[in-house]
Formats: sequence, C-alpha cells, structure tokens
Amino acid sequence: MNAAPLVAIRGLQKRFGAGPLVLDGINLEVGQGEFVSFIGPSGCGKSTLLRLIAGLTSASDGLITVDGTPPEKAREKMFFVFQDATLMPWRRVAENVELPLLLRGDAPGHRRERVARMLEVVGLSGAAEKFPWQLSGGMRMRVSIARALTVAPEILLLDEPFGALDEMTRDRLNEDLLAIRSRNSFTGFFVTHSVAEAVFLSSRIVVLGVNPGRVTAVIDVPFPYPRQPELRETPAFLRLLATTAQALRAVRS
Amino acid sequence: MSPSLRSRLSTYLLPAATAAALIVLWYVLKAVFQVPSFVLPAPHEILVAAWEERSFLWPAALVTVRGALLGFSAAVGVGFLLAMALGFSPRVKASLYPLILVLQMMPVTILAPIFVLWLGQGLPSIVAITFMIGFFPVVANTTMGFISVDRNLRELFVMCNATRAQEARYLRIPGAMPYFLTGMKIAGTLAPIGAIVGDFLAGSAQGGVGGIGYMTISYFSQLKTPALFATGLVACVMGFVFVGGVNWLHWRLLHLWHDSMVKKE
Repeated sequence: MNAAPLVAIRGLQKRFGAGPLVLDGINLEVGQGEFVSFIGPSGCGKSTLLRLIAGLTSASDGLITVDGTPPEKAREKMFFVFQDATLMPWRRVAENVELPLLLRGDAPGHRRERVARMLEVVGLSGAAEKFPWQLSGGMRMRVSIARALTVAPEILLLDEPFGALDEMTRDRLNEDLLAIRSRNSFTGFFVTHSVAEAVFLSSRIVVLGVNPGRVTAVIDVPFPYPRQPELRETPAFLRLLATTAQALRAVRS
Repeated sequence: MSPSLRSRLSTYLLPAATAAALIVLWYVLKAVFQVPSFVLPAPHEILVAAWEERSFLWPAALVTVRGALLGFSAAVGVGFLLAMALGFSPRVKASLYPLILVLQMMPVTILAPIFVLWLGQGLPSIVAITFMIGFFPVVANTTMGFISVDRNLRELFVMCNATRAQEARYLRIPGAMPYFLTGMKIAGTLAPIGAIVGDFLAGSAQGGVGGIGYMTISYFSQLKTPALFATGLVACVMGFVFVGGVNWLHWRLLHLWHDSMVKKE
C-alpha cells in the first residue's frame, strides 16, 4: 500500500442508542484491490462494521473515510449485497438488475446493454424475463450480485451473501465471485461465518471478538489471484484454515 | 377420478347441490307450515316477481350501481392518497389516524341524516354514505402496505442515492399494491351494500327512479313480499359483479409475482 488507503477506519466506536458498545477501537486501512473478510462469532458487530463503511449507519465515535470522504458522500463508489438477495418480487430479473441504473438516470439503451452484460457475467442470461420466485436461492443471489455490478462499484460490500446456501452452491459462487472480480476489479468487503469461505476469497481476514467487537487478529492470505478450486485441497490452504479457525476459537473462549 | 375433475367437482358441484337441497327444504317447509306468500314467497315466485317488476328493478339497479361505483371510486382514490400521506410521514399518521378511527366508529345510520342535511336527499348523500363505508378498509390496508417495506430494500435505495419520489414510485407504491388491492376488495364488497343502505336512508325517487334501497321500502310498504325478496336477489347479483371486477383487477396486477397467486410446484 503506497497510496492513501481507499477505506480508512480510525478509533471507531459504535453503540446503538444508549446500549452497550457494539464495536470498539477499530482501526483498519484497506487499499485498492484488496479483498477483506470480517469473521467472528454472532453479535461481534461484523455486519454493523460493514454497514458503517456503507454509510447506512453512523459511527458513535472515531472516523471512517472512503476515498477521503465520509461514507455517505461516497455511495456512488460503493454497492451493498445483502444477506438475502433483496430482490423486488414484482420486477423481473432484468428489471431488478436494471434498478440501480434506472435510479441513477442512465439512458434506456445503455441500461439494456449493461444489464445483458451483467446477467451474462453471472451466468443468468436465460433468466432475464423470470420473476424472483421462479429462481433458486443461489440464482437469486447471482441476480443480486449482477445488480451490484451494473454500477461498476469501486467497493463491493457483501453481508454474508451465501450464508443461506448449501455448501456446494456456496463453493461454486465463491469461485464465480473471484472470476467476476478478475474481470470487474473491485475492492471487496465480505462478512461471513465460514472460515473456508473467508480464506478462499480474501487477501486479508479480520477476526472480530465479542462484547465489544474488537479486532483480535488480522490474517494475511498470501495466495495469488486468480485462485483455482483446487487451492482448497492444498496443504498451505488447510494450514491457513487451521490458523484462522484457531484465531476464531480464541475469540469465543 | 382425476384430481382436476375432483377439484372442479368440489368447486362447482358441491355448492350447487347444497343450494338445490336448501331450495327443496324451502318448498317443503313452506308447504308443511302453510306459510303464506306475503310472509315467505316460494323461490319461483321471487323469480316471477323479479321478471314482472323488471321495468322498476332494472333502472333501480342502475341507479344503485351508479351510487356504488361513485362511492367506491371515491373511497379507493381518497383512501389511497390518504394512506400515502399516513404511510410516508409518521407525524401525519400520528396526528390523523386516531381521527380516522373516530370517524369509522360513527355508525352510518347516524351519519346518514347528517349527510341528508348537508347534501340533500339523493345521489350525493348516497355516494357519501358508500364512501364512508368503503374508505376505511382501503386506508387501513394501504397504509400498512406503505409502512411494511422490506428494510433491506429501503437500504438498497439509500445506497443508490434514490430520491423520495423514486423510492415512492419504484418501491413503496408497488410494494403496497397487494395491501391496496385487499382493501379494495373489502371496499368492493361493501360498496353495493353501502349504496343500498344509503338509498334506503337517504334515497329519493326524483326523476321517477329510486335505487334498490328505495324500491325495498316501496315494496315493503305495499307488502309485495316476493318483489321485496327480488330486490335482495338483485343486490346479490350486483355484489358478485362488483367483487368479480375487483378480483379481476387483483389477478391482473398480481398473478405474475405475488405469493398468493403464483403456482409453486
């Protein structure tokens, strides 16, 4: 990291109302092109941290900047992928993907072209005219990711996007996400419960503890991109899996 | 027996058989207890009366349909706009909703003479009464729809820097549609009843034509009981036509996507 960090977090504290501290003393600098996972037990505030970066909630103390400005002012550089696909049930797949461009006021021709391209990227060109209820959970999540990619965000924030999916679908989507990233480069923030997912995707893993959420470990993941599915079976990968799992266990006890 | 045949059997044949059985029972009871026709006419007498009185009942039905349609449209239109105001601003909701409830608690029989005082006998009062009966279900349901927007979807719009108008157009209004249509269904069921009650309480035969409610009073005072029953028959048919129309709209707008309509295999 030689240039200024894309996302900088300093002395961040967060509490809701008069409640207890959810996050405390968070310091983190993330450079362009990184893929950072937040992992930790339930209630450690990892989703809150993601929402803070998105500017969907504000810090109680401390500072977050995205590209040098407060998160609320940097929204056009970011997009958020929610825990469930968060599609509008009354809009067809293509119309769902189109939404961010529509709200931004892009011309119809450009929107159509962009939507078609993004559906191709996530492998759902054939489902453009379907309604969300006609898709499986994994396909819905792909639609959600396609929608996020339409605006070509510099930063993509993903809040446990694959948590509700079965392991095979999840692995597949992990691979696809990396493939997409190799073409549409973005800086990634990823919240997850899964150690394997975190190690496979990330360049860096931030382990958070509970009560209050603090950074207890930062693990660098040295494997170069692009990563192949076979990486999961290599000894180096399994060792890092163990290291991360230990760091996570240390938090729980 | 194939499943589709069986389901058709229970949809059409069972109610038809029940109705036939009840009609037979009706004839039997009338014969056994020797009930005179001015107390309880036989079913065929009602049909005959409906036919004989058609030159009165048909125009009366049209008058009532007009009142019901106008009152229903007003209830749906005003109800939707009011719900929008209530749903979009918690402050408006807090200040207005209790008052709407108060209005709703007021029985129509009390409101009717007030409307007659203000608007006179006839169509305006009937429309006002129909409106009063129909608008609350529209407001209550649609407001619920505007309020219960998925939190994540709202945050999606925040992430897109959407304006309030965009949020209304692309998120809240389509999201509230199923609720709005439910309110509309209830209002649709109540509208013909409202128009008949309104006609009963505030109707007039100005221009020589009263509505169904007015005819009810007229037949009652003449003890034309079969014709009185025939007005009930007309009211029933009107109700089905109204509800059918709203159901059709409901289906048009929701059948492609809403959980209540889509077939999941």
